[in-house]
Amino acid sequence: MLLANLYNKVLGFFRQTDTEQTESSKDTACNRLRVVLMQDRTNLTPELMERMRREMVDLLSKYVEMDKDALELNLEQDGDQVALMLSIPVIRAKDEDEIKAALEAEDAKKSQEESSAEDEDGDVDNEETSDSSEDNSENEKASEEPNENDSKAADEEKEDSTTEEQPKEKDTNKEK
Amino acid sequence: MSGRVIVITSGKGGVGKTTTNANIGTALAKTGKKVVMIDTDLGLRNLDLLLGLENRIVYTIVDVVEERCKLKQALVKDKKNPNLCLLAAAQTRDKTAVTEEQLKDICEQLKKDFDFILVDCPAGIEQGFQNAVAGASEAIVVTTPEMSAVRDADRIIGLLEAKEEIKSYKLLLNRVRPNLIKTNDMMSVDDVVEILSAELIGIIPEDTGIITSTNKGEPIVNDEKSLAGKAYNNVARRIIGEDVPFLNLEEPQGVMAKVKKFFSGLMGKEKV
Repeated sequence: MLLANLYNKVLGFFRQTDTEQTESSKDTACNRLRVVLMQDRTNLTPELMERMRREMVDLLSKYVEMDKDALELNLEQDGDQVALMLSIPVIRAKDEDEIKAALEAEDAKKSQEESSAEDEDGDVDNEETSDSSEDNSENEKASEEPNENDSKAADEEKEDSTTEEQPKEKDTNKEK
Repeated sequence: MSGRVIVITSGKGGVGKTTTNANIGTALAKTGKKVVMIDTDLGLRNLDLLLGLENRIVYTIVDVVEERCKLKQALVKDKKNPNLCLLAAAQTRDKTAVTEEQLKDICEQLKKDFDFILVDCPAGIEQGFQNAVAGASEAIVVTTPEMSAVRDADRIIGLLEAKEEIKSYKLLLNRVRPNLIKTNDMMSVDDVVEILSAELIGIIPEDTGIITSTNKGEPIVNDEKSLAGKAYNNVARRIIGEDVPFLNLEEPQGVMAKVKKFFSGLMGKEKV
């Protein structure tokens, strides 16, 4: 009995102590690195990200009513791909008339602009951010795609107006 | 003969580019390959020191491009291995003394006589880096499991990918400390590989022997007992195309560790 006790004590001494549950310094390093590398790889400064976020709000507001301040736009890494994660708390799906009205208003605005500004053909929608890298324009193009799906998803969830519903749209966009 | 030109680069300074260059070069030469190393770190040359050749340098790469000597005259033969040569950097000049075109030209000429041309790249991403990369078609990116080194390596990888001439690049993880990795205080090899998503060519453990070998001007690959030396020898064999498994750095080395392993082994059996 005594011997068994002693044996266990000796084993306990040699046994490796379990690492604690708190985040290790290595995990902190990995996480910080992932974030900083994504910024490095895309050339997207925080200002540009904010601008992109605002533009997304404008764009999506035509189709759904959402919590504008809660729209989140983040870069995340998924394997060797960088993904643009968009999280939109939908308050209410707009009905057909509202969407139609918003689109018509925009079309009218566009045709007005086109007729008035003959000298420059650059459409505002296509080159909103004046940036220097290709990555940016790619990102933006990709980020516009989820639109349709989004309004569909919102339609299905009609009347379900809690902000907890956050349809996550994911756009992969190969970097490098 | 048409040799392979491999640039050894890192972005960050002090991660072991020059040590890697000296050791891979020496290890390749030991396998019978003809190897020449070019130090392109003009003004801050050190490769000669690591090889113990500092007293034998007569002409440098700048003398070659300014036509004060022929290329062959500037090549310094290693003390031990006649297959190994060094083209030293000039210590008195700066990075503008040699251009990309001139380096490309030197590499082309050396390709005819050597199996491997290893280019030691200076730290940074400026002209010195551009010069060093100019003649190369392969790259080894040296990094350590530290945040700053990994970030810089990522930047370098981005720049290498943008270069058409660089056909492939591989990652060499230097100064790995298994003890720290075990306690989760250092990024593991897998962590770094995953973050950089690059192919690995070597894992070199931190080894105090590197300091003494540098003191003596004798690359650590010549020390049969050294773990880092073994790891570098393996890198050389992988470069040649052999399929060599990575060393198990987790293997406990000390007596105490062996005792511990023995007991934990016993414990494992008891439980089952």
